[in-house]
Amino acid sequence: MKVLRDFAVKLGAEFSLNADLVVEKADRYFLLNKRLQSISHWDFYYAGTYLGKVKKGTFFPSFNLLAMLAKGKANKIVVDRKAAWLFICGRDVFRRSILTMHGLRRKGDYALVMNEFGECLGFGKILCSLDADVKGVEVVVKNISDVGDFLRREI
Amino acid sequence: MSGKEFFVNRYRQLGWKFENVEPKQAVRINVSNAKGKNLVERLRALGVQLERVPFLETGYWVCSSKVSVGATAEYLLGLYSIQEAAAQIPATLFTALRDKTVLDACAAPGGKTVQLADLMGNTGAIVALDVKKQRLNALANHLERCHVSNAVVYHLDARQASRLNLKFDRILLDAPCSGNFAADNAWFKRRTLQDVERNAQLQRELLTETTTCLSDYGEIIYSTCSLEPEENEVNMDWAVKHLNLQIEEVDCYGQKGLTEVLGKRLDASVERCRRIWPAETQGFFVCKLKKRVNKQ
Repeated sequence: MKVLRDFAVKLGAEFSLNADLVVEKADRYFLLNKRLQSISHWDFYYAGTYLGKVKKGTFFPSFNLLAMLAKGKANKIVVDRKAAWLFICGRDVFRRSILTMHGLRRKGDYALVMNEFGECLGFGKILCSLDADVKGVEVVVKNISDVGDFLRREI
Repeated sequence: MSGKEFFVNRYRQLGWKFENVEPKQAVRINVSNAKGKNLVERLRALGVQLERVPFLETGYWVCSSKVSVGATAEYLLGLYSIQEAAAQIPATLFTALRDKTVLDACAAPGGKTVQLADLMGNTGAIVALDVKKQRLNALANHLERCHVSNAVVYHLDARQASRLNLKFDRILLDAPCSGNFAADNAWFKRRTLQDVERNAQLQRELLTETTTCLSDYGEIIYSTCSLEPEENEVNMDWAVKHLNLQIEEVDCYGQKGLTEVLGKRLDASVERCRRIWPAETQGFFVCKLKKRVNKQ
């Protein structure tokens, strides 16, 4: 649970899950509902809502977890249509592509990247204060993870 | 006993004149995720022209597309799935899925598991099994992409499903099968009658085991994408005679099941199955089964 909470903090998100329903299995975290918990007595491969995994000490959130966090208070930037497409192709976010911002905008914070429909496309790291208009700095959010990963996993 | 001529001749004896077909690509809207998102319009704006499949509530043909429908943001966000039209039928034939305990016996790569979760509104529980471990990853990715939250996946041969010690209200047995030529260009070169008979035997074993896991008033939907009667009507006839199951009426696309197959007369109730010869869809077969209730 600590890795989940720590990640949420980096996103400026409020996060509460029933710890009794979170299951860790081989460094992967799943959120079960009570019904699933009652029948998941075997060695499952996947169950409930996948929350993410720890690999070499780093937590990699699932897109389900990002979508859950995006429903509440969190650092978010909403980008235009073209930037949304480029983001899911693995590209970073340019300052001029940002339509609106919510939450913290400091250098080093994480932010969820949202499209114009309010859907979470992934998250990135803020490279410079989003409030300051630093001349010559174009890329302001570095892509860490985006839903295009579902395609890249298949390769 | 193999080759195009052999199989085409069999189809003629079963009452269907062979023709080369190319099934249309189809998608299914994941209602739980796409509610209120005007998805058809959003896809149209991307250059994807959809047309509602007349026999499906949430299925659409892809008439034309300027982009790959498997690489849009909407797809990656789980708003829709790519799923062949006939393959969308089985999950819709269950009654009252919400809050039920459902077994998806041969689940990977997960198209029907996601559809079941959508029809259940992510209530109840789905136990999804597959015997091939390398296919479980695709299944897990599919569940994550479509935000399914009510499924548990096990690496388990459905012929050992009773090891779970669970009784299921609904069982989807989309059985491994010989496939059909409309979905596989090399089908006639690859398949023999021996393959068909081997698959039919496997399907009987799956039916036998999953029936032991069915609750008294539960339902089994059996489906294959095979055109071969041994894997379809003949197996259903066998299930009626050996597993104390009865075939239920279904109201869906397709022709009545065959009751005379290559000189063999089958139980009259086999007519309640649905056989889909390839045309706009691939070939398919579906049947709804329940435990026989003894009337006293």
